[in-house]
Amino acid sequence: MIRLTLLKLLQAVPVILIVSVLAFLLMSLLPGDPAVLIAGDQATPEAIEQVRRNLGLDRPFLEQLGIWFLHLLQGQFGSSLMLNQTVLSAMAERLPVTLSLAGLSIAITLPIGIFAGSVAAYYRQSWVDSLVMGVALLGVSIPGFWIAILSVIVFSVILGWLPSSGYVPIDQGAIEWLRSMILPAIMLSLFQIGFLARMTRSAMLDVLSQDFIRTARSKGLSEWVTVGKHAFRNALILVITTMGILVSTAIGGSVVIEQVFALPGIGRLVVQGILARDYPLVQGVMLIYGFAFVAINLAVDLLYTVADPRVRYD
Amino acid sequence: MALLGRRDFSRGALALGALALGPLGAMPAHAEPKKGGTLIYASVSGPGTLDPHVSSSAVELEVIHNVFEGLVALDNRNATRPMLASKATASADARTYTFELRRGVKFHTGEELTSADVKASLERYQRVSPNAGNLAGIERYETPDPYTFIIHLKAPNVVLLDVLKSPIFPFMILPASQKDKPARGIDVIGTGPFSLGEWVKDSHLVIKRFDGYVPDTSAPGRDGYAGRKTVYVDQVRYRFIPEATTRIAALQTGEVQLASSIPTELRERIEQRKELAVREVFPVGGTYVIVNSQYGLTANVLIRQAIAAAIDITEITDATGGVNKPNPWMSFPNTPYYLGESAPSPWYDVKSPAKAKELLKKAGYKNEKIIIETNSNYQWMRTTMLVVAEQLKRAGMNVDVKVVDWTTNAAHMQQGTGEWNLSTTLFGPDHILGPQQWRPMIYAFPSIKGNDALDAAYKEFFAAPDLEQRRAAWLKIQQQVLGNGYMIKIADSGRLSGYSKRLMGQTDYPGILQLWDVWLDPAG
Repeated sequence: MIRLTLLKLLQAVPVILIVSVLAFLLMSLLPGDPAVLIAGDQATPEAIEQVRRNLGLDRPFLEQLGIWFLHLLQGQFGSSLMLNQTVLSAMAERLPVTLSLAGLSIAITLPIGIFAGSVAAYYRQSWVDSLVMGVALLGVSIPGFWIAILSVIVFSVILGWLPSSGYVPIDQGAIEWLRSMILPAIMLSLFQIGFLARMTRSAMLDVLSQDFIRTARSKGLSEWVTVGKHAFRNALILVITTMGILVSTAIGGSVVIEQVFALPGIGRLVVQGILARDYPLVQGVMLIYGFAFVAINLAVDLLYTVADPRVRYD
Repeated sequence: MALLGRRDFSRGALALGALALGPLGAMPAHAEPKKGGTLIYASVSGPGTLDPHVSSSAVELEVIHNVFEGLVALDNRNATRPMLASKATASADARTYTFELRRGVKFHTGEELTSADVKASLERYQRVSPNAGNLAGIERYETPDPYTFIIHLKAPNVVLLDVLKSPIFPFMILPASQKDKPARGIDVIGTGPFSLGEWVKDSHLVIKRFDGYVPDTSAPGRDGYAGRKTVYVDQVRYRFIPEATTRIAALQTGEVQLASSIPTELRERIEQRKELAVREVFPVGGTYVIVNSQYGLTANVLIRQAIAAAIDITEITDATGGVNKPNPWMSFPNTPYYLGESAPSPWYDVKSPAKAKELLKKAGYKNEKIIIETNSNYQWMRTTMLVVAEQLKRAGMNVDVKVVDWTTNAAHMQQGTGEWNLSTTLFGPDHILGPQQWRPMIYAFPSIKGNDALDAAYKEFFAAPDLEQRRAAWLKIQQQVLGNGYMIKIADSGRLSGYSKRLMGQTDYPGILQLWDVWLDPAG
């Protein structure tokens, strides 16, 4: 396992390098001049040039790239231009919000998605299957932005059950935290539940038609043991792969959900950074996201070996 | 000054003065101010900085004007009124300005304001502010005693006080200890009626009533940004809610009592509730078509005039919706530089394709492409330019519309870069503050170069000792800018805000959010 982990980490190095270069290239790929933004609307050309010098934007491209990597090696991800703080501290402030949202959404998604997919597979081509898959199709098709706004109107304005927006840190009360997060988390998980249910159904259908399931049944094992233990365990590989995607989409989807529910998370930070051309911030966040996705994929690869002893990477 | 700075957009703020609390028509005559409570305000986004010397975005200024104060400020009639100064006098040659400071004014730290703080603040302003050019004519400062502050100028400047009352990049006074702090790096300490409480970036910000506040007792009551300020609420909590529907939902559920930037198409959702109301904040800014005088065809004055002749204002405002009123001038009505009916404005709302065609013929136009640049971020801008494109086509012009993002669009206008002939934007306090404030915008946005008549008119303006002469110079400036089609005025525009009828006690002065002298009616 240690060897496997090291191997996977080594494989991640070029990916991270590419992500780093791509993040750096943002500065030159996007239109607009950050120096003009920082210097302000009424700045003179001299003032803009001064800012450009301060940011090192007047240096040759390769020198800038070298400095970028040097800073990365020193653990410096840069400082936000609009927030007047380092990218790491800006992210650290917002991380609990995004993690709360993504974590809660995954916690909702997994049991519902797997159960729904399994039920649909077990009762395949029945009305249960059609109903579950119909709802799952809705889940993956409805635009997140639209359903999120609709949920605010229904659950906050009409029913008055939940607050319309905002985030309450968990240390200010678990109930209040849950009240602030439950609706955004459910909205974020709608797509994921639909996606996971469809993937689980497909994997389970595959497994349920195999010989060993027939053998298990003919041995007289109960349906619960046959499906719950033998079939599900074998379908798990695909479910684990899907989970990796789910975590990634939860983080990506949080951008829209955080915007609608006014949650001060990393997704909203990125949107603001892009709109303000806060290049260091966007570069830093992109890089850290890159690291996070590499870590997620690594975790998925390692989980394969746990779920299926046949999986070996040597 | 340009309202639509790129950073402004990032925080979702479209314009300065995006919100002022209303006269609250439902307020009963016997309503007495009541102390206490927390006012919750849903704003589009949070400030990036609260450093007044570098702030031009509405979301920043909505906090800053409640926490800091300057030597002078705009009053209800948009005239200059002393704020931290008790008196401001200019020498006969307009080269020396003497400010007597109000005594006993306290910073939020409890320290007393002195002339040393004023000097340090203006020196810092000159070092860090993008607007520092407005203080370029200052020779030196003098602080003969703790309550007297003198500005010596290199040359006469009759409008220095008008410069100092600017609500954007405001000349707020900070403690002298902040003098060497970098831009955006100050401790938030002012003399205003509120002090800064908790601030969680992107989530919320709290300002608390400053119990040590020393009001200007020479005024009978509030007066624009100046006057006697009284704070009734214990604190104000700004909540940053970028999505308009969610802001309205928060208002409907009673989670907030005030919400900014309500889209016209959603106002009904507020008005259908008896406990809520919508306020039209007007005027907030003026909308313009900007004509690039340094790029291609539009370098030709006849082509620019042809474009202006083709424009039909009503068609544009009907299409964009919102709160708009026609006004051919670059100053708001009821401001000192508004010319109203005193002079003709033949360039405005001409809506004559025939005249446009005639001018095009005279210019030798050969169906070359006119490029319109607009953006994907602001619907009203996009709609405006699409209507303009159709109007120009009707007048026989070959038009191409290019859509970019607002940041790029704004940068192109401000720097005269990119390949475009026409674009659009909104200007705000320039319409209140007058020609001296307009100057950098007038030259920058349409890229005006080598216009001797305009240069001369501005020279005349700065040298004119009395208002009437300055108004005459302002007319010449506008004749140059609008008459020669560098900029085409569309209309004065306003914004909508929503509020709970529990919120009482505001004037209808359409300035940047002012939270003093308002209170929450507990029975509402």
